Amino acid sequence: MSAAAADTSVFSELAAIVGEAHLIEDVPTLLRYDIQGTQPAIRVSPGSAEEVAAVLRKAAERRLAVAIAGGFTQQQVGDPPERAEFLLDTSRLSALIHYDPGDLTFGVGAGATLASVAAQLTQHHQFLPLDVAFAERATIGGLLATNASAPLRHGYGSLRDFCIGIHFVTGDGVVGKGGGRVVKNVAGFDLMKLMIGSFGTLAVITGASFKVFPGPRQTATYVARFASLTEAAAFRDRIVRSALTPIRLEIISPRATEYIVPHGDPRDPDHYHPPAPVPAHETAWRLALTASGSDAVLARYRRELGDARELTGREEDEFWSGLRDFHANVATRHRNAMLMQLNLPPAGLAHALAGAEHAAVEQNCLCATLGRAGAGSLLVALIPLSVDPPSAMQYANAASAIRAALPHDGSAYVLQCPIEAKEHFDVWGSTPTDRSMMLAVKRAMDAGDILNRGRFLV
Amino acid sequence: MALFSIARRLKKIVGKDAVLSDRADLMLYEYDGGVQRALPQAVAFPTTTEQVSRIVRLCAKEKVPIVPRGAGTGLSGGALARTGGVILGFSRMNRILEVDVANQRAVVQPGLVNWELSQAMAKHGLYFAPDPSSQKACTIGGNVAENSGGPHTLAYGVTVNHVTGLEVVLADGRVVNFGGKSAETLGYDLTGFFVGSEGTLGIATAITVKLTRLPEAVATLLAIFDSVDAAAQTVVALTAAGITPAALELLDGWTLRTVEEAVHAGYPLDAGAVLLIELEGMREAVDGQKAAVVAVCDRLARETRVAKDEAERQRLWAGRKNAFGAIGRVSPSYYTQDGVIPRTRIPDTLRRIAEIAAQQRLTIGNVFHAGDGNLHPLILFDARDHDQLERTRVAGRQILEYCLSVGGSITGEHGVGMEKSEILPLMFAASDLDVMQRLHDAFNPNALLNPQKIFPMARSCRETDAARHPAAGLDS
Repeated sequence: MSAAAADTSVFSELAAIVGEAHLIEDVPTLLRYDIQGTQPAIRVSPGSAEEVAAVLRKAAERRLAVAIAGGFTQQQVGDPPERAEFLLDTSRLSALIHYDPGDLTFGVGAGATLASVAAQLTQHHQFLPLDVAFAERATIGGLLATNASAPLRHGYGSLRDFCIGIHFVTGDGVVGKGGGRVVKNVAGFDLMKLMIGSFGTLAVITGASFKVFPGPRQTATYVARFASLTEAAAFRDRIVRSALTPIRLEIISPRATEYIVPHGDPRDPDHYHPPAPVPAHETAWRLALTASGSDAVLARYRRELGDARELTGREEDEFWSGLRDFHANVATRHRNAMLMQLNLPPAGLAHALAGAEHAAVEQNCLCATLGRAGAGSLLVALIPLSVDPPSAMQYANAASAIRAALPHDGSAYVLQCPIEAKEHFDVWGSTPTDRSMMLAVKRAMDAGDILNRGRFLV
Repeated sequence: MALFSIARRLKKIVGKDAVLSDRADLMLYEYDGGVQRALPQAVAFPTTTEQVSRIVRLCAKEKVPIVPRGAGTGLSGGALARTGGVILGFSRMNRILEVDVANQRAVVQPGLVNWELSQAMAKHGLYFAPDPSSQKACTIGGNVAENSGGPHTLAYGVTVNHVTGLEVVLADGRVVNFGGKSAETLGYDLTGFFVGSEGTLGIATAITVKLTRLPEAVATLLAIFDSVDAAAQTVVALTAAGITPAALELLDGWTLRTVEEAVHAGYPLDAGAVLLIELEGMREAVDGQKAAVVAVCDRLARETRVAKDEAERQRLWAGRKNAFGAIGRVSPSYYTQDGVIPRTRIPDTLRRIAEIAAQQRLTIGNVFHAGDGNLHPLILFDARDHDQLERTRVAGRQILEYCLSVGGSITGEHGVGMEKSEILPLMFAASDLDVMQRLHDAFNPNALLNPQKIFPMARSCRETDAARHPAAGLDS
């Protein structure tokens, strides 16, 4: 336990800010908020941006490290925190800031869950195109901080494209904002871009505004199968060059199929030790794309996609919810799995995926992959086989082999792997841009280096 | 320091024929597309990144301000040497460095004209989506600095949505790369942060842009209304019906008559307003949307026309794209505002603008991006008449105050520049500006890169406290 918990004056000072009811320092309870082996000493739940600012000023004064938590769905990402005296919980920052259905704009506190946002928008047949997992727990702040990527980004863009305003508090407790609540706005610096994907190291996001979209009236999903990755990639190129404008375009490796069906194969390499890699049930690479529009639009897809399988209604929903849970399904079934997020220029897709498959064989792992074939955002799962226990070198070597197969400008970071292995290799990979400017930005926003200390690459 | 010597030293870097220092030459660079003026001390035209870096180092050493400039089509004074110093003209860095069709990317130099990029990409079935009205003259570097938009921003977003990587010369002359060809790169999104920073964070010397596939089908419609209010209400109704056109532009009666006389776009002279609506995408989708748009417009429109062919389509657009030029024929000067409002507030905002025009005894024309609520009220005045000029300023400010009062913004695409630096505090609290200023100082600690832009003078003129901030003076 850190010194902070023992220090009753910190507790009473925080209580004066947020009220005692919104503090937890009970050790057994705090064990549930373990972040990669680090337990926070106090969980503090501020109810406003001003309270967040007051908490951060206290932390900065005493040089205490602050971990930020929303729904705890992404705390496995990155390096383990160096320390975390405070766990700043955003759940009370969940109030609606504005919702103007006629303007298709929506603003909400960072602690609001994706499911609660969806419930409000759906009343007006609108939605936020973020079809990510754990919607019941994942919060707006966490999704922004980790730059969550979802299949719908093919048609609607990423958070970078539809977050139009942001509220935050810097590491030294200054309340700030960028953007606004209109869809077009170039006043001042674009602070949304800085916050998205900064993994809580620049500021605590307290709220955000978004462009929202009319819900599609009718959709259908088409799944095409290919005997090889090369054929699948060629088909991807054909779709991208065609007049078709799908709202999703996902590539799914043969092995990934096991993790996107609701009741997958019971074989579990963690408990089942075959002498050699088991053949996957599914041998085809698949591309799945969703079309949205009128009967005439769907008829055109049917015509152009030939023998692709068409999914609609419940079957379609189940397919996509299975795909959404891929990450979780892998993690639940294989505690030793390593998951990596790959970002690359999209034409490098086939080479990068072949590289990942090859790295897996070399390191005695199974490889399951899926992701945004159009945007070049992919998830790779490596599942170690039969070696007991898997060695840190296996993860390190696999990660570097995967990185080596990326095109120029590509990057790959670890979303999840056993904590013990993280000490032995770089989970983020080298930064492709200028590190000194990133460091300057970090110091400008969090001079005391108290926010999510040690988690992110700078 | 002696000006003579800075010009001479610039010549050593870029060559004799690439530096201007005569007053007569410099006067061509004392204005942009807006109304303000500021005279530079020299203009240099580099041809390589290395030259840019050497110029920046020279200016840093001599403490001379440096202002990057593309075609000078900006309207907010962003490319003016407000405090004097050197203008860096990018007209000789105008090449396409790389075309990567498979990844739908191109790497271009900042001085490349926006329109030329799209023209060059057409043979690959691609184009660059951001299309400011000045796209036949404005440069990609200027688009990046101002985060420019245009009529098609409604569907495709502003410049930042189409830039994935930058080569940047920093304030100390170092050349760095932000981002690349991937949609996302590891670390902070410095590319996204840089776009729209109006030349205050560094100088972009190469830009990686995202290219968009040319649509299979395009349909352009003209809906004609008896009143501007009916047109404004139709904009709201289109949004409510879940229709997102590629572009949705409104011209009020006064503006369309002025435009028609100059351009002959085929707008009816007796209308109260017109909406110019463009739909793009798959043939089947456009057909379906066309029917839906006509159904919504016909509720309030006198007539809704669909352009029969490309020639008619181009003619309808010529009216919109040349509107500002046409206004120039009827008024000695005009002041273009660039406020943004939520789309649902268009009807009451136009009423409020009419009230302000009456109150200030001015003519205000409206031609704007109705789909995203980005207004461009054109306030006509005669700059020789001091009283008129003053009333114009008051009207401009009143319009922006109204925009803010309904949750809008003071600029949708032209930038803050020097024009709006004093009113930025109406939109952002002191603490918001403090954070922006800290970031500014981390990149531009001595405020020599495009000084006194964006931030109010009181902040910009202060002795920079960057030296005291921990972000200052960092090396890798």
